[in-house]
Amino acid sequence: MITSLRRADAGPLNEKRWRRAVKVLGLHLTLPPAILAMIFATAARAEDKDAAVSKQAVEAKMKYCEVCHGPSAQGFVGYYPIPRLAGQQPEYIKNQLQAFIDRGRVNPIMANVAHVLSPAMLTALANNFHELNPKPLGGAPKDLVAAGKQIFEEGIPKADVPACSSCHGAHAEGNGEFPRLAGQVYPYLVRELGNFSEERGQNPAKPDTSAIMQPIAHNLTEAQIKAVAAYVSTLE
Amino acid sequence: MELSLRRAQTVTLIKRHGRWILKVVAQCALQLTVLTIVFSATSRANATDVSKGAVEAKLAYCQDCHGPSGQGYRGFYPIPRLAGQQTRYLENQLQAFVERRRPNPIMSPVAHVLSPAMITALATKFRDFNPKPLPGGPKELAAKGERIFEDGVPEDNVAACAACHGPQALGHEEVPRLAGQLYPYIIKELTNWGKERGQNPAHPDTSFIMAPVAHSLIKPQIEAVAAYVSNLK
Repeated sequence: MITSLRRADAGPLNEKRWRRAVKVLGLHLTLPPAILAMIFATAARAEDKDAAVSKQAVEAKMKYCEVCHGPSAQGFVGYYPIPRLAGQQPEYIKNQLQAFIDRGRVNPIMANVAHVLSPAMLTALANNFHELNPKPLGGAPKDLVAAGKQIFEEGIPKADVPACSSCHGAHAEGNGEFPRLAGQVYPYLVRELGNFSEERGQNPAKPDTSAIMQPIAHNLTEAQIKAVAAYVSTLE
Repeated sequence: MELSLRRAQTVTLIKRHGRWILKVVAQCALQLTVLTIVFSATSRANATDVSKGAVEAKLAYCQDCHGPSGQGYRGFYPIPRLAGQQTRYLENQLQAFVERRRPNPIMSPVAHVLSPAMITALATKFRDFNPKPLPGGPKELAAKGERIFEDGVPEDNVAACAACHGPQALGHEEVPRLAGQLYPYIIKELTNWGKERGQNPAHPDTSFIMAPVAHSLIKPQIEAVAAYVSNLK
């Protein structure tokens, strides 16, 4: 076909030289685009939000999380109470990290942490934390546990507070977007339930699952919050 | 016959020197009682109580190096501020010096003569001091240090200091106060963390939390964050 493109008045066809010319031209035409394609494809893969994230990157990021959340993510009570992530429902972790990014859940420290995480990293971290299973941090007042168990299992019908177990599970293990509460850090739970509407659901443009808990947190008294927090913080 | 002779001799002995013997026995009993009281008092003091005078004396001794109000001192070594420090943190560090989990040729001998009651008393005293900080690090680094302190460096997996040390770097329980700490001391600690703290792998202590943070920070970041907290009150 290429030979048919030759001009009609072109000289006698020198097969060898012609083939070489075609080869050289072909290389010049096809090699650069091929190289460019490879470069852009790699770059695109790195930016491609669904690309896999390396094992080392995940492990490094886990170690970084554990500086605050504790060596097996059992939580830590520093200046702030920092929650347990071990055994947490992956969907809940992903939702919270997204909420930090979207400022639906206001926390300047976690917003910084979360906004550099790619979706692949988010998923990897959530799955890894779910697998951890250290003993609970403990430290809650033991005398509140019995009252807390009753609230957890039966709710407070007079105050329109449903039983926590109905969504969080009989052992507070959580399910899907409903978080695990078992073994959660006591002062963290007290703070969350006490502050729910000030901290969560802050982005009216992006209503999130926190809306479910708003009326419940609102209806619980401080004493009831402390009791139920004490109870679930002991569960394993 | 010998028995009765011995008995007779003993009786004579007692008759002659009885009063003297009684005196000696009585004195021994008295001294023994006094010694028992004194020594049991001392051991009681070690366990539960330490005299006000002893604490004041020990405090003056600490202040020789750590400054008249525990604000620290820049001698040949930078000697840290103890004023306003979390009591639990001070207690943990003194214990770490004793057990050589934090080896320090000066502080190990200082710490090992301290009873637990003395340690608690000193930690409480220092917590209540509140002198102005010594002149801090270069202020031009402080702005960058504030960013690192509050936000961390998430791309480099450096956690925000404020998350555990609090927004004003006051600390909490075993998490130390950093506000007003000596600039060169903080730099030395963060640079040397893994070589100075947690030196007994058989007994890991609270210092392990900071190991990855100190490891991930690079020199300019350490200097910046040290400059920031050293200027906090």
